Order: sequence, then structure tokens, then C-alpha cells
Amino acid sequence: MTQVIKPKLIDENGIRLDGRGPTDLRPLRIEVSVLEKSDGSAYVELGKTKVYAAVYGPKEAHPKHLAIPDRAILNCRYHMTSFSTDERKILGMTRREIELSKVIREALESVVFLEEFPRSAIDVFVEVVQADGGTRTAGLTAASLALADAGIPMRELIAAVAVGKVDGTIILDPSDIEDKYGEADMPIGVAPESNTIVLLQLNGKMTKDEFRRGLELARVGIQKIYQAQREALRRKYGASTTEV
Amino acid sequence: MPIYFNDREIVLPGQLLSDDSRRAGEGTYVMDGKVYAATVGAATIRDGKVEVITFRGPYKPAAGDMIIGVVSDIKPIGVEVDLGGHVTALLKVKNVKELASLDLKVGDVVYARVSSSGLKGVLLELNEQFKKINEGVLLRMTPTKIPRLIGKRGSMINMLKKITGCNIMVGTNGFVIVNGPSPAKEFAAISAIRLIEREAHSQGLTDKVMAYLSKLVGGEVSHDTGDKA
Amino acid sequence: MSFLPLKERSFTIKIMSEKIYKLLQQGKRIDERSPYEFRKITMQTNVVEKANGSALVSVGSTRILTGIKVELGTPYSDRPNEGVFSVNAELLPLASKSFEPGPPDERGIELARVVDRCIREGKAIDLEKLCIIPGKMVYVLYIDIYVLDYDGNYFDPSVMSAMAALATCTIPKYSATGERVEGENIKVPIRDVPLSATLGIIRDRLLVDPCLVEEESLDTSIVVCLDSASNVVAIQKNSPGHIPFSLMESIINVAEEQISKIRAQFKEVVGIG
Repeated sequence: MTQVIKPKLIDENGIRLDGRGPTDLRPLRIEVSVLEKSDGSAYVELGKTKVYAAVYGPKEAHPKHLAIPDRAILNCRYHMTSFSTDERKILGMTRREIELSKVIREALESVVFLEEFPRSAIDVFVEVVQADGGTRTAGLTAASLALADAGIPMRELIAAVAVGKVDGTIILDPSDIEDKYGEADMPIGVAPESNTIVLLQLNGKMTKDEFRRGLELARVGIQKIYQAQREALRRKYGASTTEV
Repeated sequence: MPIYFNDREIVLPGQLLSDDSRRAGEGTYVMDGKVYAATVGAATIRDGKVEVITFRGPYKPAAGDMIIGVVSDIKPIGVEVDLGGHVTALLKVKNVKELASLDLKVGDVVYARVSSSGLKGVLLELNEQFKKINEGVLLRMTPTKIPRLIGKRGSMINMLKKITGCNIMVGTNGFVIVNGPSPAKEFAAISAIRLIEREAHSQGLTDKVMAYLSKLVGGEVSHDTGDKA
Repeated sequence: MSFLPLKERSFTIKIMSEKIYKLLQQGKRIDERSPYEFRKITMQTNVVEKANGSALVSVGSTRILTGIKVELGTPYSDRPNEGVFSVNAELLPLASKSFEPGPPDERGIELARVVDRCIREGKAIDLEKLCIIPGKMVYVLYIDIYVLDYDGNYFDPSVMSAMAALATCTIPKYSATGERVEGENIKVPIRDVPLSATLGIIRDRLLVDPCLVEEESLDTSIVVCLDSASNVVAIQKNSPGHIPFSLMESIINVAEEQISKIRAQFKEVVGIG
């Protein structure tokens, strides 16, 4: 085994490896309706993290015995391309991808009015093209936009971001290297209008106080992401309503 | 009672629209007595109800709709018709003889009226309006924009037909058939339909479409729309 | 949005097939192209920083992303002096209603194998230059193709994106003794750029680069892959149906003409071709 030397992640001035301060988000780019053939789609880029999401449906549930009489089934697949990570990812679904598909699906289920489409299915596909930390939160952010783009009735959008702890400091939006060598990573998905949490995971160790501060910092990041989501939708749909 | 939007404002899911739950209309939902947008769309008030006119979304079948569908299966009880969405409609027949008389095969395109839509699924009516479509280009557009393609009392679609000389059939489910005297005229009609879809919510759309078509079709076709621009 | 494609169905809409053939008889197509006209092609390279090479290619709305990861490995025992590459393709469910999640089905495997043959038989890579220690250590190139958006004809953009990713692929340099030469990289040695053109056949008529709605109305189709000297290096008849012998001559000629146009664009974007 080669010995791994942990890099210093934050310098004495509180500056991170990529030049950010502890509470800074990476450059964010959001677009909706990016894929022609799906019913709704979105692209989210957060630094080097690049994620597509596409929605198909509502459509007839197949096989039919899986259909639920009083609402739609929501299927979700979170998947990464083989070249999205530093080490080539094996083909097919890993246990991690299966778990993340589940938590993303459950977050989406909490905002979509599934009861409007009995016996149908709505498919959500999240494809990570490049992974540099925060892929599940970028994926969830994109997926909720793809659902809105597909015109599927929903309570509200979901904005998601991760916070972490590196070198004892609570930081917003950890990159891959900060996640790898840091002490904790906590992805959070929020329904910003109702101010509720729809996805929450923690990997690592935090004191109760750090956890509280992490939640507070996440809310700051969520507001920025939510703002960018709304702008992306208005940019797409506002253009079609301008006066001629 | 307060309203929290300007007419035709673009609203997003979860956006508060009104404090009065009795005014909740299409594309909205009520929570704790307040009305919120459920989809992305243009908010407006119609017949006293707060509505969100959705830009894009699935077809919701209703009795009385005229649809265009594709035969997807032939069964002893009738013909299954794919409407392009999450529901397959059924055209019921009385007996095998009636089924045979329809002369339908999988892949045929039909125009029909929805007689009912509910727990029993979507049923189509075998009446004098029912027909099998034998020729044309089948297009799909988002069902929420079909009203715009038709226009007020059919103004938009009639203008399209007149200028292009094409026969155009419109299904509420978002399927459209264009059949014209020449490819050039069909292409003109198709690109005008695309324009309507792209700019469904813009003001002065009829004039824009007319100008666009006049340029495409040129002096080939005269039209007496009263606008000699 | 689009012509009604049958993406999720297994049957053809009859009036559309008839319309497509009727137009073709008049030298026209449903999307206003002429029979021998590709949709707009765009190519972008180095789109995924974590890959050694990558390219995003679109032909109309069909969009393909290829990424290459390079690892060290051992050569095949019958080719001890050559590097190794493997091609994989996934028809992502986000690209089309007709693509199912799960391991590559026969269509994905066919796509990967056609691209593989194109590169291998077209002698695209100088594999001997990818050998570090004969019989022991070579570069292994994983060429992974993902269909992101599918509006017909995934073969041609897949070949283009695989070749564009290879031509711009950077790999860490190793010395003849198998030591990493720190800070130095090499390019994948490209010997040739094989490219493909897909032709659709309806009765006695030909068209190139079928879009999805056309694909569903074709009698059959064929992928022709040529190297830069116009040698035929791979062919795949990729759907059921008949091709009259009398059409084969035109098929090869049309493919050659189309590929030379694509090659000019490839050269402009990627720098070689």
C-alpha cells in the first residue's frame, strides 16, 4: 500500500485549495430543457461537477402489475459515467449508485403530486458526467428542475447542497478532494418554500455544535442554488412570453 | 382578497398566488388555505379562478376531447389507441363483425371523440366523427399548447389552412396531422406549427405567424385575411 | 417538439412510412433535408477534465459523449508488443424512451463492437507505441461511449466522438523501464481516422443519417466505415430487411462522399483527419 499524505485543505487565512473561502459555493451553471427527446431535462454544473437529469412520463406503468391504483410510481436512477471519477468506475450500478438513487427518489416523492396520475410511472434519470464532489445534491437539484420542465405538478422545487468539515472548519460545497480527506460530508436537500428537509445524510464525525452550524451554512447555500434554479426556469420560459 | 401575481406573470411551483382557497383553479394547489402554483406557467384569472397555464405537460383526457391516436392493439372487445401519454384509450366494439368493418390495423392513425375518462380508463366513441386517417404527416406538440394552435374560435388554425392550402387536423392530446397539395406547402405549415409551439405565449402571435407564412409561401397563395401588409 | 417518433413502440405508423417514401421519390425528406445530407454536426473535445480524452458530438439532436480512461495493464499474450483498448457503449435511458436502464442490451453491444471494429480494422491507433515493457506492461485504453440524446443514427456520431476523444487523449508518460516520468505526458499515437456513414434504404431509395422517425420507416439500414484512403474497414447491416445487390455500388459511393465531408469538419475541429 502506498502511503497517502493528506494535503492541507485550508490555509491559515481560511483559503481552500481552489481559492474559495469556507462559505463559498463553486461557480454554478444551471440550464433547463437541454435534452430534446425527454419530456423534461436539466443540466447542473457546480465547479467540475457536471450532471444531467431527464424525466420521462407520466407514462403507463410497465409491467402493469406494478401500477398503483391511486398514484404514479416514481422511478429514479442515479448513475455515473465510467470516466466521471479519478479512478475509472466499473460499468453497471454500484451499491453506492443504488443507494443514492433511492434517497434522491424519496426526496422527489415528497414534492411531486403523484396522486394526479394513478396507475402511471414517472422515470427520472440522473447522469453524472463528471464527479468532483456534491454529485447527489447537484443531481437532485437537476432532477427537480427536469420534473418542473416536464410540467409535472409539484409542491415546489428542491434545492440541494452539501456541507463538510475539513481541517476542523465547517465548509460549504466540498469538492472531491475535500470530501476525501475531510472529516465529514453532509448532503442536504431542501424544499425551500416550506423550509423542510427532504434529503439528509452524514458521512463522518461532527460535534453537535458543528452539526448545527453545518445546517445553518447549508441554508445559505440552498438559497443561492434555489435562486439560480428559478432564474434558469425563468430564462427558459420567460423568453417565450416576451412581448413581440 | 389579495392576489400575489401580475396577469400572465411566469410563476414556478410553490409560488404563492392567492390567500383564497376557493379560487384555486387548474395548475394550482391549496395548502393551509392558500393557493400555490403547481407547475411552471403563466398565472392568470379565468372565470374568477386563479390558474396556471402550463407551458409543457402531459395530456389529461376529458370527455368531449377530439383526439388523434395510433392503433396499438386490436382485441376482441375493441381497438386500443395510443394517445402519446400515460393513458391508452379504448374504442369499444359491439361484436367481431363491427371490429372487422372498421378495417383497422396496428399502426393506423385514427381521429375520435373521447366519450369518457375516469376510473374505467379512456373510452372513445364510434360515431360519425370517427375516422381513419389515410394520409399526412403526424406531428406531436405539447398538449398544453394545442389551444393556441387552434386559436380563438379556430382563428389560428383556419388562417394556417387558408394560407398553406393544407388540410390540418388537431387532436387535443397533442397530435397533429398535416396533409397538403405539395411538400413545400406541408413544410410551410409544419414550420408555422413549430413557431406557434415555440412562441405559444407571446403576444401578437397571429400576426407573427401570418408574416412568417407569407414569407415562406410568398405570393403563391393569396389570402383574404383582411391584412394586406 | 418533433415528428411523432415511435421511440417507445414496436410498430410503424403507416401513413408516416408512406409519406417518407413519397417525399424521397421527389428527392425530399420529412425534415426538409435532401436524401444525401447529414444533419448539422457539432464536435467538442476535452469536455470532461477527469477523462484522459473526451468528446461531445451531436448530429442534429442525437448527442454522444465519449470518454477515455487510461490504465496500465498487461498485453495480450499473442500481441506482447501492443497496447490494449476496449470499447463499451451505453444507450442511456435518459436519451430515449426506448432505452431501458440496466446492462447494455444487444443494441449497445452492437454499437460498441462496430466502433471497435472501425478503430481496430481501420488501424486508427499505433498500438505498438502504447507498449511500455513488451509482454509485461502496456497502456490500456477504455473507450466508453454514452448516448445522451437519441434522435436516430447513433453510429456515426459515436465513431466521430470516439475518434475525436482518441485524437485529443493525453496519457502519462512511462519510461522503457516502467517508471513514471513525472510531469510528462504523451498523446495517443493516431495512424488513421476511420469514420462512418449510415445509410437508410426504402425500397429502391437511399438516404443518409436517418433521424428517428425515418429510422422507424426504413426497410433496412447499413453502416459503412472507411479509412482516410477510402478503404472499407467495417460494415454493419444493422436492421432486418433486404438490400438489393444493385444498390451496393451506390451505397459505397454515397458513404465515401459523405465521409469526406465529415472528415473535412473533423480535421478542422480536431486538427487531424
